Amino acid sequence: MFSDSLIRSFTARSSRIKRIFSSISSRDFRCWETSRLVGMEVDQGQFAKDLHSSNEKSRIEDDCCVSVQSTPEIEKKFVHHVYDAIAPHFSSTRFAKWPKVAAFLNNLSSGSVVLDAGCGNGKYLGFNPECFFIGCDISPPLIGICAGRDHEVLVADAVNLPYRDGFGDAAISIAVLHHLSTESRRKKAIEELIRVVKKGGLVLITVWAVEQENRSLVTKWTPLSIEYEEEWISSSIPVPPRLSSEIFLESIPEIEDDGGSLRDKDKPRSDMDVDFRDHNEKKNSGDGKIGENQQEYFVPWHLPYHQAEINASASAIATGFARKDDKKGALVFNRYYHVFAEGELQRIVSGVANAIIVDKFYDKSNWCIVLKKK
Amino acid sequence: MRLLTHNMLSCNIKGVTNGYPLTIEASKWMAKEVDFNGDFLRNIFVKIEWKVLIEAAKVMGYTDLPVEVDSSMLNSDEFLQKFHHALLEIHVEEGALICPETGRKFPVHKGIPNMLLNEDEV
Repeated sequence: MFSDSLIRSFTARSSRIKRIFSSISSRDFRCWETSRLVGMEVDQGQFAKDLHSSNEKSRIEDDCCVSVQSTPEIEKKFVHHVYDAIAPHFSSTRFAKWPKVAAFLNNLSSGSVVLDAGCGNGKYLGFNPECFFIGCDISPPLIGICAGRDHEVLVADAVNLPYRDGFGDAAISIAVLHHLSTESRRKKAIEELIRVVKKGGLVLITVWAVEQENRSLVTKWTPLSIEYEEEWISSSIPVPPRLSSEIFLESIPEIEDDGGSLRDKDKPRSDMDVDFRDHNEKKNSGDGKIGENQQEYFVPWHLPYHQAEINASASAIATGFARKDDKKGALVFNRYYHVFAEGELQRIVSGVANAIIVDKFYDKSNWCIVLKKK
Repeated sequence: MRLLTHNMLSCNIKGVTNGYPLTIEASKWMAKEVDFNGDFLRNIFVKIEWKVLIEAAKVMGYTDLPVEVDSSMLNSDEFLQKFHHALLEIHVEEGALICPETGRKFPVHKGIPNMLLNEDEV
């Protein structure tokens, strides 16, 4: 449990940060990236208020002192911790196989080694029985779910794959890169995918698009105006230790209805997790800074109370990572997304040596690209 | 973790140039039967660092792999069976993978390696 006093005590600026939780190994941080969220609707309790109370505006420099492979705060808080907390529920909603991904995998030659970077619950692992899949994800609970299905998996970071060069015949990155919060990290992840496949190997990348087919969906998202500060400061909210993966490994039967979303199981959709029940949710109000080029969002995930593990949920609420929605009987988490604009993937790839584009398309609100390693 | 996966894994700590292969420390391992697929084995053979596979299999007590190999052996069913067993049927359940340059240990727990780096390693 994280007391209010503990949280408040962590506001001082200091030149080096030490983790205060003894349950994780002590680390010396070279730099600590903090996101200042401006223009975000305040309904997240003290946590949100602290984050956007500052009026500082300093531009990000992607290539500052922080290593591109260092995980920024916003990803720790609004990607890693969220997926850890929602893993079993998230997994139960990830069953539909997207036809475009299926086609890519089925077209690979027999005996191919396929590397799935950011495999989530392992939905595509083993999809083509002629191929050998190796999956990795940054979330231990999600990987635990994969391993429970006897897949070859490991816990690793897509921005820094622990693979030697050129081993894979193909690689896939399905709905992953939009969780990376800087362009240099997104580019690095693409470079890693290219690096780990053989010469001539193929890479399929899919990401959420700015141009959503269902425009009303976007109104349920919280637009963000993110100004990063990369300097030697402490976060005002400490990052709780990653919760033990044991907590999340209870089996939850695969269900069609996650407690509210009207998803047709037989119709594959893009990897989205919208709760269509909430038609009364306020439209997100921008403060003038949010414009038509909006690409940064918090996208809610509703974790029904009966699916939530009690201790993990309590700490999530206490630290501001989730809020309760009694009306829906769910905890609401926010996931960070950088949705991609048309042409953005191509633009980034053009800066990646030895990658050529062999296909690019838009499908079900996702931008997709197929690369070949030269 | 199968030895096929281990054959690919490398230490990615910043600045490390000699992070492959990772030494296996295994406190628990097991053999799990896998369907034999000769075509798959013939295809993957070229990717495998053979010495690394031999050393890894030795840690788990499997010493039947020939030291010297060439592609003609892929016609031998006996060889393929041994290759199959070492590559796909031996599972490291508990232990660690050790970087040859830094000594850093990456834990393997319930068959899953955790290759995440600490902040000071990126």
